[in-house]
Amino acid sequence: MSSTEQGTSSAAPAEPTTAPESAAAPEVPESFYYVHGKDKVVHKVSAGALQHSALIHGMISNLGYTEEQAKANPFPFENIDGDILQMVVDWCNQHKGKPTPPEDTNLPKQKEKLFDLVLAVNYLEIKELLTYCCKQVAMMVKGKSPEEIREIWMIPTDAEDEAAEKEAKKRAGKEAAGETAAAAGDAK
Amino acid sequence: MSSRDTEMEFSQLFGQLDIQNKEINLSNMIFHEDDVFRQLNELIQTTFPESSKPKIRFPLLKLPQLVLLECIENLDVLEIILFSLLSKRAKTIAKLIRWNPLDIQLGSDGKPQIQLRYSLNPGRTWITDLELSEYPYYQSSLVGPTVNHYLFMKNNGNAIEDLKQMAEHICEVFRSPIREITIVEQSLIDWIIKFQPTIPYLTIEKDVITSVGTLDCIFEDLKVTKHFVLNSIRTPKKIQCTEPISFPSISIHNSYWFTVPLILNGNNSIIRLYESKLTPKDINTILKEWQKGAKLQNLKYLEIQTTTHLYDNDCSDEIFKYLYPTSVHRNEGRPKTVSIDDEWTYTLPEVVVVHNITRSDGMTLSVFGSFRDLKRGGRELFLGMQVWHKQP
Repeated sequence: MSSTEQGTSSAAPAEPTTAPESAAAPEVPESFYYVHGKDKVVHKVSAGALQHSALIHGMISNLGYTEEQAKANPFPFENIDGDILQMVVDWCNQHKGKPTPPEDTNLPKQKEKLFDLVLAVNYLEIKELLTYCCKQVAMMVKGKSPEEIREIWMIPTDAEDEAAEKEAKKRAGKEAAGETAAAAGDAK
Repeated sequence: MSSRDTEMEFSQLFGQLDIQNKEINLSNMIFHEDDVFRQLNELIQTTFPESSKPKIRFPLLKLPQLVLLECIENLDVLEIILFSLLSKRAKTIAKLIRWNPLDIQLGSDGKPQIQLRYSLNPGRTWITDLELSEYPYYQSSLVGPTVNHYLFMKNNGNAIEDLKQMAEHICEVFRSPIREITIVEQSLIDWIIKFQPTIPYLTIEKDVITSVGTLDCIFEDLKVTKHFVLNSIRTPKKIQCTEPISFPSISIHNSYWFTVPLILNGNNSIIRLYESKLTPKDINTILKEWQKGAKLQNLKYLEIQTTTHLYDNDCSDEIFKYLYPTSVHRNEGRPKTVSIDDEWTYTLPEVVVVHNITRSDGMTLSVFGSFRDLKRGGRELFLGMQVWHKQP
């Protein structure tokens, strides 16, 4: 839990990003949880918004945190860049308690970030957002020629694949030989 | 250059773009934001080919497999084909998805095309066209209620060979068999016999068959499960066919070789013979055998176009000799259509008089037809014979 403690101490927990309050707030006070990414910036997110993420929802259900405990121990997602986590949190807040529309206009537009976003969304198990992201990925090659598709999606040719496979085998062989030699040295 | 000049230049480019427009979603006539970006991208690439290579890269193959497959599932049919052609690995990935089965049709209007259609969505057709073109491009068109999406691809100088390879590739990726093929070249017959000897629909174009042996191969090695169409053949030797054709529905042009035994010994339900050499006496034999009931038990419709030197009444007498048909002036419940195959229902001509012959099992055979004088002498006889059951 050291990373969580570092996250809360270094990343200004006093100013977490919050979901916009709706005019017709529910009578029961909403509980909030805290998450942070690689940049340790803590985001305050309502339980309703976090329900989109099967992973976080499962963590909340299993841990049974009180709000104080949750504030003291933000969920750490060290493998997700801060700006990507921000996008995800924003999307979850925008879609809190709403049915997801067939065409989502709130998707992050920066296509350069799409790969990291897809990985993060897949990791956090946000099914609807993953569906939208996958559609975006497919849209990248709409109307493109084969060579453009190859370039955009970085698809290697058969020759490149074969060369990479040979290289990987060579490397694996060398590593295995190194391990054998090291084991022999230890035995002596 | 003034700003107005620049604006004019871009307006002209946009005009050109409109003409060159390679893909417009005509299915719903909505011009999406993505279409605008795509066209702009095309415009930039046409104008600045070197400096306009796509900047955004997405390492698709580095995605977790399930996510990667979900991305691929969002591609449309033509995009899946293009993707699967990129490399062996891409093809393997595309094959991992259980695509909805496709109706695959090879060749139409004599063009090296592959038409693809989902049976659940027949209003949308994807067409891969392997005509010689400079570069691959897309085009869409709205024909009545049907949307056709074309992918024009460059062939390697032999469109038929490319067609075969592409068909094999598509069948493998989509795990769907070929549903229909139009043979425009003899090599396609050898190929389809090896690749998929059972096929629902087979059409052989005019003058493709030039040897008796090829015709024998078709009847021996191919199984046509729905409808077989044979257009005119050009063989140096006269065809002599002794074994009946086991395909359920057959339409044969230049059918001089299709004899009475072939009709009587076959199990065909639809037989359509054009430029036949059958005589009124032959037709009488066929009708008698049908009435006896031992043969032609599956027959639903027989159509014969032949020539005769007999006049109307003499010809009718010859055809109905010892059959004593009843002449009917009204429809009396006879179906007005015949199902030639699963896709094609043929509307029968409206006739004033129909001659009915009945069989002991209650089936009726209605004979109707017309005569036409030929300039070269003689008369053309066009006969339709429909088998049906009178509802009580």
